Amino acid sequence: MSDQSTRLWNIFVDSFLPLLKAGVLFTIPLTLISFALGLIVALLTALARLSDIRVLSGIARFYVWIFRGTPLLVQLFIIFFGLAHVGIIIDPFPAAVIGFTLNVGAYNSEVIRAAILSVHKGQWEAGFSLGMTRMQALRRIVLPQAARVAVPPLSNSFISLVKDTSLAASIALTELFGKAQQFTATYYEPLLLYTEAALIYLMFSTVLSFLQARLERRFDRYSAR
Amino acid sequence: MILQMTNVKKAFGRHEVLKGIDLTLNKGKVLVIIGPSGSGKSTLLRCMNLLETPTDGQLSLGGVSLDFAGGRKSAKNAVLEIRKRTGMVFQSYNLFPHRTVLENIIEGPVIVQRKPVEVAKLRAIELLRKVGLADKADAYPHQLSGGQQQRVGIARAVAMDPELLLFDEPTSALDPELVGEVLKVIRELAAEGMTMAVVTHEMKFAGEVADQVVFMDNGLIVESGSPDQVLKRPANERTRMFLSRLTDTK
Repeated sequence: MSDQSTRLWNIFVDSFLPLLKAGVLFTIPLTLISFALGLIVALLTALARLSDIRVLSGIARFYVWIFRGTPLLVQLFIIFFGLAHVGIIIDPFPAAVIGFTLNVGAYNSEVIRAAILSVHKGQWEAGFSLGMTRMQALRRIVLPQAARVAVPPLSNSFISLVKDTSLAASIALTELFGKAQQFTATYYEPLLLYTEAALIYLMFSTVLSFLQARLERRFDRYSAR
Repeated sequence: MILQMTNVKKAFGRHEVLKGIDLTLNKGKVLVIIGPSGSGKSTLLRCMNLLETPTDGQLSLGGVSLDFAGGRKSAKNAVLEIRKRTGMVFQSYNLFPHRTVLENIIEGPVIVQRKPVEVAKLRAIELLRKVGLADKADAYPHQLSGGQQQRVGIARAVAMDPELLLFDEPTSALDPELVGEVLKVIRELAAEGMTMAVVTHEMKFAGEVADQVVFMDNGLIVESGSPDQVLKRPANERTRMFLSRLTDTK
């Protein structure tokens, strides 16, 4: 083996665990926390948009409009650098969580809204005819059926989020990609190190795709489709 | 008297579907509503459990009275109370596809009436036996035929012990050979003294099971009386035309 390839191999070996660690410590928690909070935001936003109360659906529409219509990176910069400038200082990790939550919440609210609307009106009526309140019919009858419709697009957005978290590197969060940038600054091997980072992202999203397939199968058990 | 409707009107936008309905139904009686499509039969039935909110008139059901005059909104609790006292069987069954047959039936008793699951299950199994589906308790709706699904739909409604059971064209979505098994169950319920309002196109069945038949046309009750009067010796010209057209095609 030539000296150069030995050197590259050593850099690869030395950086792999630290990169993986940055992924496990930051990328994955950032993804999981933001996505979970984002789902709550998305559900509430979807319900607000479907509500008869004009003000409520108006606010929801406005929120979705803003966060879908502006770049995620710009949103992160506003939350981290912009707010700091006026004295609201948020640490990189919570700032990233806020940014990703609001962004993914806006996108997923549309997914959830469409899924709720896809459930046949007769299902609501069957619930009502048993004396259920709107809340009971939603929780017991409609949402479980909507969830089945929403799983594939939500999984998509989840996998997108795993990769989007790399943007957090630009607000001083040393997650997987930020770590790769640090190594690159030390070793001057951008091709190797960024490819390595890409490989680890690929590992994460592959595992997630696998989990998605299992989740979909679980939801399929009650349907002939 | 279980149900009383006075001057009930229902409009969708500017289109008036019910133009002033007066109706009473006594305990243990079976009311059959017939009429051409678009006459407002289903809307009338759906006003009885407030799946549609009348735009005018009064409705009283099992002691709960509501006034819709002037488009008044009713208290949520009163609406829920009326829905708890009525059961409904839908044309397209509307079973919950994500739940087994047994779970479909215990859903109302457990969630709405807060009965213990075990108690609700025992009752559900008894009802399934009654509609001839004891062996299907753990099946999902999509694994059943239309006739079986509708029998589950009936069991689900009966499980709530409603004071009034509503049937909205319960056999219209069924293949002809499956109609009989559903009508049989409804007949048995009638024989047990269940108070029912049924929208149907099955005239022979209507004649057998009804205590009172109303013929609707264009949002109004045109003729009302015993099955003998309305189905055999209709006084009204429109009723006569409707019935003769039915016999022509059969």
